[in-house]
Amino acid sequence: MQIGALFPLSGAAALLGDESFRGVELAVKLRNKNGGVAGGKQVELVKTDAPDANAAQAEANRLITQKGLTLILGSYSSAISFAATEVTERNGVLFWEMGAISDPITERGYKYVFRTNPAASDFAKVQIQYIKEVVAPKLGKSPTDVRIGIVHEDSLYGTTVADFIRKMTNEEKMQLVTAQPYNMKSVDLSSVVLNVKQAKPDVLIAVSYLNDAILFWRQAKELGLDVPVFIGTGGGHTMSDLQKALGKDANGIIDVDFPQYEINKTYTPGLDQFVKLYKETYNEEPRSGHSLANFMGTNVLLDLIDKVGGIDPDKIKKVALDYKLEPGKSATGWGVDFDPVKGQNKLGKPYVHQWIDGKLVTVWPKGAAVQEAQLPMPKWSER
Amino acid sequence: MAQLMQVIISGILVGGIYALISMGLNLILGVVRIINSAHGEFLMISMYISFLFFATWGLDPYLSALIVVLLLFIFGCLVQRIMIQPILETSAAVKIFATLGLSIMMQNFALMIWNADYRTVHTAYQTSVIRLGEVAISVPRLIAFAVAILIAVCLFLFLKKTFIGKAIRAVAMERRAASLMGIHVRRIYLVAFGIGSALVGLAGSLLMPIYYVFPTVGTLFVLTTFVVVVLGGMGSMFGAFLGGILIGLVEALAGVFISPGLKEAVYFVIFILVLLFRPSGLFSLGKGSEEVGLK
Repeated sequence: MQIGALFPLSGAAALLGDESFRGVELAVKLRNKNGGVAGGKQVELVKTDAPDANAAQAEANRLITQKGLTLILGSYSSAISFAATEVTERNGVLFWEMGAISDPITERGYKYVFRTNPAASDFAKVQIQYIKEVVAPKLGKSPTDVRIGIVHEDSLYGTTVADFIRKMTNEEKMQLVTAQPYNMKSVDLSSVVLNVKQAKPDVLIAVSYLNDAILFWRQAKELGLDVPVFIGTGGGHTMSDLQKALGKDANGIIDVDFPQYEINKTYTPGLDQFVKLYKETYNEEPRSGHSLANFMGTNVLLDLIDKVGGIDPDKIKKVALDYKLEPGKSATGWGVDFDPVKGQNKLGKPYVHQWIDGKLVTVWPKGAAVQEAQLPMPKWSER
Repeated sequence: MAQLMQVIISGILVGGIYALISMGLNLILGVVRIINSAHGEFLMISMYISFLFFATWGLDPYLSALIVVLLLFIFGCLVQRIMIQPILETSAAVKIFATLGLSIMMQNFALMIWNADYRTVHTAYQTSVIRLGEVAISVPRLIAFAVAILIAVCLFLFLKKTFIGKAIRAVAMERRAASLMGIHVRRIYLVAFGIGSALVGLAGSLLMPIYYVFPTVGTLFVLTTFVVVVLGGMGSMFGAFLGGILIGLVEALAGVFISPGLKEAVYFVIFILVLLFRPSGLFSLGKGSEEVGLK
């Protein structure tokens, strides 16, 4: 049984592309060791490198026409996912997405695209929901009184999330007091920090890559910007390099992202086994949550193949729509319930984490949480 | 009011960093008349050297600065002697592509050795500030600014008073006449390129506590640096210094009063206006910047 695996394994996205592929590799390895699928058949991955959109189309074409594959999984990057799915859809081949977060991937009415991971709008949704349910009561305010600010880098990633936040605060009648876009290549963010300082938000949401995340927080300290709650949106705020660069100052930062490893293990069955296998195979700790998300997504796909007994796209689609898993039963804790029109998993949710004592610890939802978030953050003068 | 003061001070401090990097470039651009596209990579290399001293021997970037400056001086001389000198008489395109090639080579070299991770140093004073009422002044940035002033003054005196300095100015103004007067032009080029690189080395050392280094860090600064040099005027050290401060200020003010996303746009508008109305820059010596390396 051959399945195509399409990831960026060279170029700028290579590190996390490779990390994503490792999750797939481990899921397949484990399944093959435990007797394979569909009555003892072994699964073989056809690994291919798609560093950019053009390569993604070419590689998808090659897998379909030359290798005769009918099922391809991937892809970590939204740009790559968009390009590859155009080719697979045209050829009636199933594309199984487990990492790209751009919403429109599952909004184009494609028949053969499924996605197990949450979309960008889910990140904003979780942030708003968390502010309503947890942050507002902690601050002793009603949700409509909480002053929300947002700082975001101005490429696609930052503007997409910021637009969702704008839309949702509007719908919820919440207050968005400032929105500060900036160029991720800025070498000075003092003007952003000062604008936020003037707006006096209770909660500051940030959408940043790594270097701007570090720079912003350092300058926030220098210029004495105290925000009671600071919520990052994956990206730079998840990376261990952030912690290395900021040291103790990283503590207290909240971050909404894919499931990580400091999580309630009863809610994520199979996580421990995954980490153990990861260390045995690659001789290091998992480098991010991407491998875990792909491990979970691949497991769901292998279950479906096992049920169907083959990889016919129409049959897999039919079984996928009937497949239900409640939250707290997979390695990420995600449930499974595919939207029949979009193919988007409605139960794949980002979680809320907080940097506590140098570790990124899950604090919400309750089922997945290891402990409660420590809110509000201490002022710089009290640190 | 406090807000405005804070914006102005932050802007001036960032300007100091721009000024530091620009003064080195200005020497090279103004004297050797070559557009060094690899200038940002010189900065990147000096930051890495500074980081290595810290990571290996725990040496504070301010202490290792002297060694970095010396190493960069040697490196600059080597580049001038081995790469630039043979192509001095060729067309502009050759010079531009040669330094561009060097830039790409250095970036990939760094990527190969240190991979794409961000490296930082940890010092006690890293995020320490001096507070004047409401206004905060970052200590490492203030130090960088003070050094920038000091360097500008020293360079001014060096160019004004010493024989080599006068020779450098002569070459910058009129290459052929200088050579007729018995100035060894090639040697002057070597010295100018060396000093220019050494200044970038100093800038890198002072940046390390404030910033972090990765293979393409130079690209974040290099464009601004070119703008500063053209704005200030070729070959003028005070021009580069004031140009740097000016750009830093414009960035900060535009970021607060217009939008952080537009701050780069604002200073590029100013840049275009300067090119239109004063193509030789605000404090230029000798020929205008509009023809650097192109004639």
